[in-house]
Amino acid sequence: MCFNAAAKMEYDVICKQVTIINKLGLHARAAAKFVKSASAFECNIDLMRGNQRVNGKSIMGVMMLAASRGTTLQIIADGCDEATAVGVLEELINNKFGEGE
Amino acid sequence: MTFALTGIGVSRGVVAGKAHIQEANRLEIAELEISAAGIDAEVARFNSALKKARQQLKTIRDRIPATTPADIAAFIDTHLLMLEDAALAYVPVDIIRRRHCNAEWALKMQRDELAAVFDEMDDPYLRTRIDDVDHVVNRILGMLLQQQTGRSHDTETEDVDLDGFVIVADDLTPADTILMRHQGIAAFVTEHGGVNSHTAILARSLGIPAIVGVHHVRRYIRQNELIVVDSETGVVLADPDKQMLQQIRVRQDRERHERDQLVRLKKQPTVTRDGHEVSLQANIETPEDTGAIAEVSADGVGLYRTEMLFMNRNDWPDEEEQFHAYLKVVQALNGAPVTIRTLDLGADKQVDGGRAAGAIATNPALGLRAIRLCLKDPTLLFPQLCAILRVSAYGPVRIMLPMLTNLHELSQALQLIHEARQLLRKRGQDFDTALPVGGMIEVPAAALASGLFAEHLDFLSIGTNDLIQYTLAVDRLADDVSHLYEPLHPAVLRLIHMTVAAAASKGIPVSMCGEMAGDANYIPVLLGLGLRELSMHPSLVLEAKGIICNSNTASLSEVVHKILNSNCQSEISGLIETLSNRG
Repeated sequence: MCFNAAAKMEYDVICKQVTIINKLGLHARAAAKFVKSASAFECNIDLMRGNQRVNGKSIMGVMMLAASRGTTLQIIADGCDEATAVGVLEELINNKFGEGE
Repeated sequence: MTFALTGIGVSRGVVAGKAHIQEANRLEIAELEISAAGIDAEVARFNSALKKARQQLKTIRDRIPATTPADIAAFIDTHLLMLEDAALAYVPVDIIRRRHCNAEWALKMQRDELAAVFDEMDDPYLRTRIDDVDHVVNRILGMLLQQQTGRSHDTETEDVDLDGFVIVADDLTPADTILMRHQGIAAFVTEHGGVNSHTAILARSLGIPAIVGVHHVRRYIRQNELIVVDSETGVVLADPDKQMLQQIRVRQDRERHERDQLVRLKKQPTVTRDGHEVSLQANIETPEDTGAIAEVSADGVGLYRTEMLFMNRNDWPDEEEQFHAYLKVVQALNGAPVTIRTLDLGADKQVDGGRAAGAIATNPALGLRAIRLCLKDPTLLFPQLCAILRVSAYGPVRIMLPMLTNLHELSQALQLIHEARQLLRKRGQDFDTALPVGGMIEVPAAALASGLFAEHLDFLSIGTNDLIQYTLAVDRLADDVSHLYEPLHPAVLRLIHMTVAAAASKGIPVSMCGEMAGDANYIPVLLGLGLRELSMHPSLVLEAKGIICNSNTASLSEVVHKILNSNCQSEISGLIETLSNRG
């Protein structure tokens, strides 16, 4: 489900809802892992929390979302490798960014 | 005169050492006007400082010793990414051009802008991450200043011998902590930071004491002054007297002795003083948790909770995905047994998919959950059974069914397992034809009728979290009744005893995998009740082993049987009291 009207307009955009489940949320190191993974892809990747939309390849942008544990975000990817990108990023989030807890 | 300062102890141990005070490099920044002709030069000055800051961090990262915890190394990468981010690399340049101000001021304005956003954050930990921004900003500012004065401003401590010193600082940057790592530092004390700060993580990984959040500590402690750092209580003692130092040495000796013993325990078999072997297994939630099992040499996985695979997603994992997750665990265990519990969703573990949830029940703990949910929708359970059967070809695996309440549920589940076997045969896929199927005894009805269940099962496992909640009618997550949650209630002990007896009479193994099994206070009672297989969080295994190796089951069992037969509450309380003192 995608709540962003602008994103809906652009067709063939992937929009995936994810929930942050690691204990500390999307803090600096977790954001760094996200940004590094995202930057490996050619497609544009944005992250949205409510109406706030940031570049998923910018660490400051991702940190500014203040996504604590339990926060729901949308990953919006647009480009030739969007499907792989979304899959990899989703797995990273679901693996709690590899943080042992 | 001796005096004490308090903060938050974030590691373990106590130590005495001389203070090495690190002065903060708080820089006074003023706004200077730059003439139009000088703007390009100012931008170039900023860019050059940025570049040098990056180079400096990269050099530190490249020199990170292999033994540095991955966490700490990851901090450096994080800061490098921040140095490359538009918010710190380009926005200050825009400010210089727009405002015609000096680079330092532009950077400070941008820093304050970012700080305002962090300030608004609800989550207390995320709010503190302005510290990361400050570390990075200070590094650039340091470089700008160095260009002006021509001398190195960094307070890095490479050339000072810090062996045996207590580092007292405002806060430590990840770079500081890496440079200090191999210098034999005795402890850390910082004015800022919390339990998850860099300092805390580093101290825990080095196993040295650390106290954070000791406000204004540098006002009260002098350079080279002898101080005591007690990480257990979060107390910093200045100017300790002889008697205190003597007490600390005694404590250090005791702690060292305890640590040595735990390490020795790791290699030892788990056998009671009267020669009964006990199997200590681990509870896990994801394949990643298996790392912790090897660290404590647990005997296997007594409870693999599979719910995590199903949570936080819109669909269900298919058989292949489950197969690969379970395979990771089986392979990591390398021949040690793995007990996989089938899906226990519902109650406090809801899924996002919504397919299972239906209407919200008024009393979810008594509603459609665990095996009830799986039998209502066998398309949920069947792929899981196939996946579990398939991994049994790679190592010893057991299936465990949660929340059995009546025999009808059991026979339905056994029928599904039978069908899964047939399907695998048809597909030509291997599995362990003798794979044991067990059931969790976590509903009072199942404990009371455990003999009936034992008739059809290969093992029983007692889940105490639910058994206690259902027996005592106490929601363990509800604060206002939590005082009624009593694992040693005679009713609970009798149900456990009945279950152990039922398993023994049918000649099948019985284990316990609830929180009670890993609680040092209850282990003597459980041994006395006849349990010989306990499964718990990996971090509790070594402590449990220490208790078991010091226990005598014959005398424990004697006391437990008195408790079971007593009808006098004060006698029961007295007997329970004696258990903890008896081995």
